[in-house]
Amino acid sequence: MLEIRDVRVNYGNDTVLNGVDLALDAGETLAIIGESGTGKTTLGLSIMRLTEGTVKGSINLDGKDITALSEKEMQQIRWNRVAMVFQNVNNVLNPVHTVLDQVSEPIVEHKLNSKDEARRKARELLSYFGLPQNRFSAYPHELSGGEQQRVLLAMALSNDPGLLILDEPLSSLDGTTREELGDLLRQIDKKRAQLIITHDFDTASRLSDRIAVLYGGRIVETGPTQEVLRCPRHPYTRALVRAYPNMTTVKDLQGIKGRMTRPVSGCPFHPRCTQAIDICSREMPQLVRTEGRGVACHRGGIITLLSTVNLSKSFDLIKAVDSVSLHIEAGEILALVGQSGSGKTTFAKMIIGLYPPSGGSLYFDGKPIVRRGKDFYRRVQMIFQNPGESLSHRLSVLESVMEPLEIQSIGDPEQRKNKAIQTIEEVELPRTDDFLKKYPHHLSGGEMQRVAIARALVVDPDLLIADEPTSFLDASVGAKILKLLLNLQEHRGLSMIYITHDIAAARKVSDRIAVMLEGRIIEVGASNEIVAAPRQDYTKRLFNSASILSRIEYL
Amino acid sequence: MHIDLKKEIKQSNFARTGIIILVSMIAVAILAPVLSRYDPTQQTAASLLAPSLSHWLGTNHVGQDIWSQLLYGARISLLVGFSVGILSLILSIFFGLSAAIIGGLYGRIVMRIVDALIIIPMVIAVILVAAYVRPNVLVLILLLSLLSWQGGARVIRAQALALKEEGHVKASATFGAGRFYIARKHILPELTPILLVEFIYGVRRAVFVEAGLAFLGICDPMLISWGTMMHDAMRFTYLNVWQWWLVPAGVALSLTIIGLTFISHAAESVLDPRLRGEAVA
Repeated sequence: MLEIRDVRVNYGNDTVLNGVDLALDAGETLAIIGESGTGKTTLGLSIMRLTEGTVKGSINLDGKDITALSEKEMQQIRWNRVAMVFQNVNNVLNPVHTVLDQVSEPIVEHKLNSKDEARRKARELLSYFGLPQNRFSAYPHELSGGEQQRVLLAMALSNDPGLLILDEPLSSLDGTTREELGDLLRQIDKKRAQLIITHDFDTASRLSDRIAVLYGGRIVETGPTQEVLRCPRHPYTRALVRAYPNMTTVKDLQGIKGRMTRPVSGCPFHPRCTQAIDICSREMPQLVRTEGRGVACHRGGIITLLSTVNLSKSFDLIKAVDSVSLHIEAGEILALVGQSGSGKTTFAKMIIGLYPPSGGSLYFDGKPIVRRGKDFYRRVQMIFQNPGESLSHRLSVLESVMEPLEIQSIGDPEQRKNKAIQTIEEVELPRTDDFLKKYPHHLSGGEMQRVAIARALVVDPDLLIADEPTSFLDASVGAKILKLLLNLQEHRGLSMIYITHDIAAARKVSDRIAVMLEGRIIEVGASNEIVAAPRQDYTKRLFNSASILSRIEYL
Repeated sequence: MHIDLKKEIKQSNFARTGIIILVSMIAVAILAPVLSRYDPTQQTAASLLAPSLSHWLGTNHVGQDIWSQLLYGARISLLVGFSVGILSLILSIFFGLSAAIIGGLYGRIVMRIVDALIIIPMVIAVILVAAYVRPNVLVLILLLSLLSWQGGARVIRAQALALKEEGHVKASATFGAGRFYIARKHILPELTPILLVEFIYGVRRAVFVEAGLAFLGICDPMLISWGTMMHDAMRFTYLNVWQWWLVPAGVALSLTIIGLTFISHAAESVLDPRLRGEAVA
């Protein structure tokens, strides 16, 4: 029904849309999602031919390229074949006409029906969208925002258009109204195609079958709505999902680093992307479609940073780790949860190279790990469980934090010192000379732990293995450290294997949880799913034994 | 290092006494020409004189001034002692540390050599070698060094193996540090107390063995050393000369060894927190 090819829209020198391809069939609902300023509304306006910018490319509506039509021909199509509900409710309705008049007006104007017929239809539509009978003859300013939105929806449908473009149809509404209107929109007859323009995942999830994620004037990811939201493949989509407050994720909210800019060349998202490589700033990635999903990314979407296949470790007769296969995506936090002695630390030590595995294989960045050189340790770092042991008692705080940089021969001594001090500040430790000269036995457990964390972070690793990083800290400092690690995930795309016995902490920081028991992974899945519906009895036991502050019974 | 050496030395009587003795000995060795009027090798006709104002400790059987010999003897004792101490420590560190960090076949071979050397009694070995080559000071130093590093190497290897398993050493490995970086930056500094004790122990042993060999008459008889003095004095015990010939040399040797023993004892207890009476802050 609607087919858009390589649409580019410029306002003067500003390119708002930069080559968008879309197809929409009758009965289908497609949501265009993206932050404000990505060009969503411009796309809608371009289909209506109402944009003030110059449009290039082709927009085919029912097989007719509307960009080639004259304004007169377009008027025939606009509101009859394609209608749009605008975002800004207040400015659209005419304040001097009653709502009933305004809804019936397009019908009359396009001479589709008689005036009475038009009014009857308008009443029908207004009732459908739940406007009370006694409000039909009200003036727009007498209506609430929700009611105005109902009127606009009725107006858009008044001429029975084949394609309905809804710009933020639900965003200004409260929860219950949103649900009601959402259901109504969902039930509009299935012949019609709907294009939902929104920044709101909830709207998209309620209304659409498919979703297209727009960033910087480009579609970066498309696919069935539920799949994309559950398992995003583009770093931008994932970041957007993480930033969205909802009832299904248990982790803290996270923003996206940087501000939206429109880079001159390359992938529009590359300045904010945490896995950008060289090519990302030079070439624009094309949308590659596989199995109904499409991702525009030079790296094929979110990359898998580390994976283990049947990794095992036996100490004599004891199988400490038994055929563990796990993977960690770039920018992901995987919590490895289990009681002590379940093999968590052994698993971590095999990854970092302190224990040779008895069986199985390890892959980093897609390649098998053969030997671990300096470059491996620059990208993979570990925070050990006991900071008292992992710090040398003969190195001062500053020397300790500078040591990794020295080993890696990064920078000159002055740069190393500055970098070390910067990292020490990052982990919320004082940067006074007095403190920098302290030795581990002058520090508290929490301070030692933070020095150990600073040591791991100072080389800017891609993957951090954190073995109970907060076990030595009191709650407030522990919370700060976890926040810090989450910030690093947001800003640097840090991936982390977070090893803990505390499932309550795991659910606050992790994207996925893997439950380990007697050397095996017994359950692995998205944190929210594990928290909401643990499948294994052992996982349920873990939840029951986790800390609960106020004993509230949910009925 | 967060051990305040000055404070530790002040607090330990052993360390203070040991250091005072050793420093005096070194001073004597250096100032020997100032403190004596005679060349210790100068043979005169005035042999076997009793102590007098011109010869404070009298003269020996070939008319050499015993006081001068005593002073110059300190030079040989300390030269041999410290040289052997340093050389055998270097050998100990080299073989002990490399055996620990490289391990494998190399480590096993080194440790078997150590085992073999430990069985060989040093004094007998030196006597046998000396029978073929009349050892001068340099040869003596080399000989003693080559025969006395094995014990230290074994201790250093054992400690290094234990240190290798420590958290912070493992942590350093996870920053990509190589074996030699770890040996140099983490293991060696941790070994300081042991190295110091081993060193002093080596010096003490070398001083003793040198004196012993000279006493047995195995060294160059022209060498002025406390051992040679005692060796010569023993031949004239039927005369009443031992009081100013034999005793001063024996006392000087004993003092030096006592001083070194005090220092090594103090070092052991100060640098190893487990031997300290007080808890570490």
